[in-house]
Amino acid sequence: MSSTYTLPVGPLHVALEEPMYFDVKVEGETVRAVELAAGHVHRGMEALAMNRNWFQNITLTERVCSLCSNSHPATYCMALENLAGIVVPERAQYLRVIADEVKRIASHLFNVGIMAHLVGFDSLFMHAMEIREIMQDVKEGVYGNRMNLGALTIGGCRYDIDEESKGFMLAQLNKLKPLVAELHNVYDTDPLIKTRTQGIGVLPLDKAIEYEVVGPVARASGVNYDVRRKAPYAVYPELNFEVQTDTAGDVHSRAMLRIREAVESVSLVEQCLEHMPEGPNQLAGFVQIPEGEAIARSEAPRGEVFYYVRSDGTDMPQRLKWRVPTYMNWEALQVMMAGCQVADIPLIVNSIDPCISCTER
Amino acid sequence: MNEIAQKILTDAVTTLLGEDSVHWTKDLKNNSYGWVKLCESGALELLAPRLAAARARLLTITAYRTDKYARVDGREIAYHFDLDGVVLTVSVCVDEDPPRVPSISRWFRNADWNEREFMELYGIKVENHPNPRRLFIDKDLDAGQLDKLIPLSTMMNGASTKTLWEKVFSGMDMPKWAKEAK
Repeated sequence: MSSTYTLPVGPLHVALEEPMYFDVKVEGETVRAVELAAGHVHRGMEALAMNRNWFQNITLTERVCSLCSNSHPATYCMALENLAGIVVPERAQYLRVIADEVKRIASHLFNVGIMAHLVGFDSLFMHAMEIREIMQDVKEGVYGNRMNLGALTIGGCRYDIDEESKGFMLAQLNKLKPLVAELHNVYDTDPLIKTRTQGIGVLPLDKAIEYEVVGPVARASGVNYDVRRKAPYAVYPELNFEVQTDTAGDVHSRAMLRIREAVESVSLVEQCLEHMPEGPNQLAGFVQIPEGEAIARSEAPRGEVFYYVRSDGTDMPQRLKWRVPTYMNWEALQVMMAGCQVADIPLIVNSIDPCISCTER
Repeated sequence: MNEIAQKILTDAVTTLLGEDSVHWTKDLKNNSYGWVKLCESGALELLAPRLAAARARLLTITAYRTDKYARVDGREIAYHFDLDGVVLTVSVCVDEDPPRVPSISRWFRNADWNEREFMELYGIKVENHPNPRRLFIDKDLDAGQLDKLIPLSTMMNGASTKTLWEKVFSGMDMPKWAKEAK
């Protein structure tokens, strides 16, 4: 005799321990349907943004999300630069890419680390976090902060890299590279990881397109879309990197894709450090933001970040709207979770690298 | 590839709204941005299936007041679409009394969350929405919170604290001097 019942999951302690409530319909141990209830930590940040001036909003947007915390001010500044026709000095564009990629490495390593924790492989989790610590040291050493870098300003960057910090960064990356390669190998071959993650939470290509998912979630399902390639910004057109894709679309392939992207990011930082020209790192003087509207996009660690800005010519935005990658990925959980086991729910939730504070802003 | 996507989007818009209805800008990296203004929200129901047929992707939807805070009336909604790296923004004027727009979630599944969000934040009614529940904001709160300017001083004038302590004191057996002091 089979019967369906409702299992409440959340709002706390699902994967990343941010509050999201899942109303899961279960038959035995098998999930049949998922309904989401959000809004536990809504911060009204869009309303706040309309009460702060252009410069104050750099600080505000950086606090939308901790792991993508460089992508937000970067995309916000890009939207303003598009609107005002500001040409960012070339050195600053390199510095922006470096900050973005450093954050991407740390973010991806964090996510795959948590995956190991959810599988129950805690020594691997600690090892992944230890490797990530190398990047945390880079952030602390170069930017002075371990999470929010405070690297961006309108028309440039607030930090610069001298010879000493360049040497430090390169040394840290050299330390990181063999460890990430080793991590990749463990995730690829370990039987415990493979049993728990392969074929779990599958999102086929047609569903990925239908639900319009973005970032590693989309790319692991075969959608070849990376904003860095499709709508290039900063100095990405001049850099060599490969957009990582996969076709399996399961929890394992999303994790493996993130590790491969982290490897690409290491190479991107190295290329930037090598080719970065001399020159100013920001504009001299104050910029005026004219009346009008503009958008900007960038590829955050979790996927595409979108900013729309409307200015009425004053020093505060008339409207500032942003859409975060996770916003697009939630609904696809209904496909990924259908038919999965109750025990796999946290693993699948973590595999979209969810950010609740981003989603609810 | 950029030019092809731009042409597909232009065709989708101009066959419905006529030549010159879309205006293109470029950023310094040569990315194209299209801008369309729809003065009648009903036309959205005709444009959305065309964009969906062109395989465009809905990026997000932005609702806003054309002024900032209730100085004059007028709301607009900007729909942002992407086709292979080219972004098209369709700004739609919202019919007033009551403010309403048609839902496009029939053609774009991800419009669901976006529409529910601006329903609760701006109090705009979305016609034919399949699932018009609250998304983020608690159902006890009024709709259209982003339509209003609530100064922080009003919000935090201590009223809640006083009510709280009145409740606390009313249930306590306290000396007379303490009741007088509160």
